[in-house]
Amino acid sequence: MNKNSSKFSAFPYVLWVLFFTVIPFLLVIYFTFTSKSTGNLTMENLANASKYFPVLIRSVYLAVIATVICLVIAYPLAFTMSRCSKRTQRLLLLMVMLPMWMNFLLRTYAWVTILDNNGIINNFLSSLGLPKLQLINNRGAVVLGMVYNYLPFMITPLYSIMTKIDKSIIEAAQDLGCNSTNVITKIVLPLSFPGILTGITMTFVPAVSTFVISGLLGGSNCFLIGDLIQQQFLGNEYNLNYGAATSLLLMVVVFISMGIFNSFDNDEMEDSMV
Amino acid sequence: MDKSVIVKLENLVVKYDDEMILKGINLDIHDKEFITLLGPSGCGKTTTLRIIAGFIEPNEGNVYFDGKLINKVPPYKRQVNTVFQKYALFQHLNVYENIAFGLRLQKTPDNEVHKRVMEMLEMVNLKNYGAKRVDYLSGGQQQRVAIARALINHPRMLLLDEPLGALDLQLRKEMQIELKKIQQQLGITFIYVTHDQEEALTMSDRIVVMNGGVIDQIGTPQDIYNEPVNAFVAKFIGESNIVSGLMHDDFDVEFAGNRFVCVDKGFGKMTPVDVVIRPEDIKFGPPGENTIDGTVETVTFKGVHYEIIVDCFGTKWKIHSTKSAEPGAFIGMSLTPEDIHIMNKTSHNKVILDTQIEDEGKANE
Repeated sequence: MNKNSSKFSAFPYVLWVLFFTVIPFLLVIYFTFTSKSTGNLTMENLANASKYFPVLIRSVYLAVIATVICLVIAYPLAFTMSRCSKRTQRLLLLMVMLPMWMNFLLRTYAWVTILDNNGIINNFLSSLGLPKLQLINNRGAVVLGMVYNYLPFMITPLYSIMTKIDKSIIEAAQDLGCNSTNVITKIVLPLSFPGILTGITMTFVPAVSTFVISGLLGGSNCFLIGDLIQQQFLGNEYNLNYGAATSLLLMVVVFISMGIFNSFDNDEMEDSMV
Repeated sequence: MDKSVIVKLENLVVKYDDEMILKGINLDIHDKEFITLLGPSGCGKTTTLRIIAGFIEPNEGNVYFDGKLINKVPPYKRQVNTVFQKYALFQHLNVYENIAFGLRLQKTPDNEVHKRVMEMLEMVNLKNYGAKRVDYLSGGQQQRVAIARALINHPRMLLLDEPLGALDLQLRKEMQIELKKIQQQLGITFIYVTHDQEEALTMSDRIVVMNGGVIDQIGTPQDIYNEPVNAFVAKFIGESNIVSGLMHDDFDVEFAGNRFVCVDKGFGKMTPVDVVIRPEDIKFGPPGENTIDGTVETVTFKGVHYEIIVDCFGTKWKIHSTKSAEPGAFIGMSLTPEDIHIMNKTSHNKVILDTQIEDEGKANE
């Protein structure tokens, strides 16, 4: 009875996953391995997509940099937040989430108006008689856009796991001889490790596949795998099969990265079991 | 300073947002003693413990350890270890590594760590649990790990903050005996914080009764039980009847309409006092000479004894006796001089006394 009712309550989600995850995924595989012109089974699409391997590497590289920067900014912030009073915590969390209330495109456009050659910063510089700086259409701008947009996704899981670290755990560590450095390395870091993994996943995955950020802030100098996929589906070179192959390639890369991250998690557990 | 004093607390004051948590605590803790800070929640007992551990710095006053001022010494440099209320075990480490934690920080060689962890596991009866994850242990087992973890550094003093609060009664009683045994075996000072008077009486060499940020009484369990200094202590340690009385002279007190011989003196002549009578000290029989007479209101069987509530013309008395009585019977209660404990009346006591009578009135309705 209980078993049946729990199955029943999962039904809407099962339908959802079926229609919006499983079937589209199968379609991606189908289009990847079929020829656009003839509809026959082929490896041609995948082989073509592989030519853009440098683009894929560039995407991963920038996403890794953005993820690392997010982690470096978010980790101390999340720890400090979790040690504040409940009232301050709510306020700080609101400030972290506030940008998310605005549209993603708008947020990214806002950076264009700031960094543009005739943007706020350059106008300010020229009003002081200083030379203009090339702030947009480069990799730095793309990384900035990624960090800005995905930072809350890093802070939230870290913060939520750190609030679960009881004050008495930290006091126990101090009591047993930990100075502040040891408290972080021996207690907070290992206990917050699952939060780090979640944060990395939630930042890295959207960053590696972005096309809005690279499109708006990277210009033609910073063509990423997301842009490539978008072009195949929405651009002039409309090619469903080729786009599907590129998507599949990206999926495999993400899948492998996640596998590597999660193996860290397992190692950590095994270490502590010895 | 006395050589056997290991910790000296001098006039400790702690304030949080204008609220006085400690209002001048003075206490000498002797080496190798089992001392209990006892009091209701909010009395400042945990705050006092945390000052000794180093987690709180007092707003005023001094803490001495071995005669050295340690107000500014951080917790990790103090020769004390703490057992926390909620155990505070490290979830990412197994039982063995939890216990070894303190030694690892000191970079102790592995074979030494192994030897000492095994000793500790044996002492707390968890010999084969080293490889277990801590969240797979029961509450009692987790508490044992916490104790072992705190003791492995060979502290001069172990601080325990209501460590048995989360355990069931049976386990609590076993752990009480075990803790006392460990303390005697290791010969170190235990400072124990609890609100459970029975726990305090069972284990302690000395009890410090705290109330509202001050120490009301310091003494052996016998002293505290038999000679409470005021109504609060009397009420907090065991059950008691507290009535107003008049001290006519040394050894001569009047209360409940009778004159009694007592063993107390030094209160002066014609002084209003509080009189404490323990329910188990009262004998009863037919009304006679110099008895306090009243009507039996209720009789409740409590296992070891009967609890009898007697209404003596408006004042309720509580008797604990192995002998039962008939509700409605008119009886006389007799007291020997040793049963009568005289305490000074203070305004502070009066409030408690009033609420107590009110409470008991309600309970009897």
